[in-house]
Amino acid sequence: MAHGVKIVEQSCRGCVNCIKSCPTEAMRVIEGKVRILSEICIACGECLRRCPHRALLLEEDEWDYILSKRPMTLVTDPSFCTQFSWPPIPELMTQALFELNFEPIFDEYEAAYDVTALAVARAIESSSDNLKPLISTYCPAVVRLIQIKFHELIPHLVQVESPLETSIDLWRARSKRRDPVTLVSSCPARIAMVRSPVGRDISSAEFAISTSKLAREVLIGSGDPSKKVSVDHPFRVPRWIAWAKTGGESMHVRSFSSRPIKTLEVDGLRNVINLFQEMELGKLRGIDYVEARVCDLGCIGGIGNAESRFLSRIKIDNMKIDFNFNEENREKLESIYNAKIWSLRERIVPIEQMPLGEDLAKAMERLKQLHAVYADLPHLDCGTCGRPSCRVMAEDIVKGEGSLDDCIFRLKERIADLSKEIYDLSKRLVHTMTPEGKS
Amino acid sequence: MSEPLVLELEVKPLDFLAAGETATQFKETLKSLGLPPEICRRAAIVVYEAEMNIVIHGGGGVMRLQVEEDKVTIMAEDEGPGIEDLELAMQEGYSSAPDFIREMGFGAGMGLPNIKRNANELYIDTAPGKGTKLRAVIYLNKGR
Repeated sequence: MAHGVKIVEQSCRGCVNCIKSCPTEAMRVIEGKVRILSEICIACGECLRRCPHRALLLEEDEWDYILSKRPMTLVTDPSFCTQFSWPPIPELMTQALFELNFEPIFDEYEAAYDVTALAVARAIESSSDNLKPLISTYCPAVVRLIQIKFHELIPHLVQVESPLETSIDLWRARSKRRDPVTLVSSCPARIAMVRSPVGRDISSAEFAISTSKLAREVLIGSGDPSKKVSVDHPFRVPRWIAWAKTGGESMHVRSFSSRPIKTLEVDGLRNVINLFQEMELGKLRGIDYVEARVCDLGCIGGIGNAESRFLSRIKIDNMKIDFNFNEENREKLESIYNAKIWSLRERIVPIEQMPLGEDLAKAMERLKQLHAVYADLPHLDCGTCGRPSCRVMAEDIVKGEGSLDDCIFRLKERIADLSKEIYDLSKRLVHTMTPEGKS
Repeated sequence: MSEPLVLELEVKPLDFLAAGETATQFKETLKSLGLPPEICRRAAIVVYEAEMNIVIHGGGGVMRLQVEEDKVTIMAEDEGPGIEDLELAMQEGYSSAPDFIREMGFGAGMGLPNIKRNANELYIDTAPGKGTKLRAVIYLNKGR
């Protein structure tokens, strides 16, 4: 499965910083280079944050290739709009991107995000109590985290498509155009969404580049668009921009709910994992909807942004965003809703991890071996064996994917034992010698 | 029939920060054995509630997980004050937790009823001053 992370082998020094940051223990260092076990990677980007040698980057498409394709339509994550010194309004962003010969489709966002929020609000209202709280599927890394580590929560995932995909579908339906679309993403998970989507067989976007790359090109290539386009003051900030920051989705959903709903907004990987653990224990009764984002502060905290997440937050907080839906557009919205364009076409399924053995008896036997191997390890979780912890090391050994000698401490003990034996052997007399000394 | 697999963890008294760790760890173990999610979930709830009882009332104790080919057994032992009226304690909403614990959001009187709901068999051996021994069994081939 694609994970949106690129390993730069020449830069990797095998320092094990990254493997210790991985929430699903999906990284190993083998022969001095890092490897990703792609089937259990959630594409959260934590390893990119931790790499001191820039050996882990976003797996984006070649900029020159994107430039060579014309026409090229762009779908940007809402957080893209907060990357610049000018106000985050679509008119200005459109101008800046036009100058680079791109065609952004901001015009579709309002309908796409509105129908998404409406679909979520209706899913909450029609959901039975034992499936609550429903969980947002907006953050693709959250979806993958649940698919890999929290199987019991899968029925809670709301079966609603990402509004970014929906906006492409709306644009294609309206314009009847088939030329390629590039998704501009601030995290590896959205890049992975283009290559291996969840809940649909194929993404509506063809290519993916990072927010930081495009933002840099905009700054070099087009300059400040607010000097060229006049915008009305006070300018109107669309609702979808709020989704760039944690809490924006919940506000939008609430604006479409016919009765008050209780939402819980959580960001940051550690918080999200804690929340899901608590949820599996049935501790979140009374909550209707969970908006979880693996990045701190939400998508503005993605590793692929150019702007500081703190400044992006201030920009969003300082804007007046109007969540009141203009009822004149109600009919149009309902027709999009009824077309079910917002719905995930395939059910989200768990990604099963191989149990320790084919049947319970074998698995129990293996687990006992695992405990025995683990007891023999130093429990320092130093990472020198290339694995994130002694427990993972024990697991790999039991699965036949490693040896005890991979442990530097165990190796040291064996060398000490061996040298003692060599010393003892060297003291042993041969029969032609007398104990006093040489003959 | 192979030897049962036994895991044992100590639970410290009034350690609310660590509370839930036993449940998480036991559950990971059951998941790694490839047991169905439904069984893992029920076992985790039983472990969690029993663990909370030891944290709140038992003054610390020991949790044991035993896996056999047809069943999962959860044992919780403490040397706390024991349960005075077991029938009363089994009722939903009955709680003897002190106020400071309720203020933290625990002690809602759902612990034992929740265990009973999720286990196939539940045995409690307790008397005032004698501590509490709890044993809950979840069969792998039986529903609730």
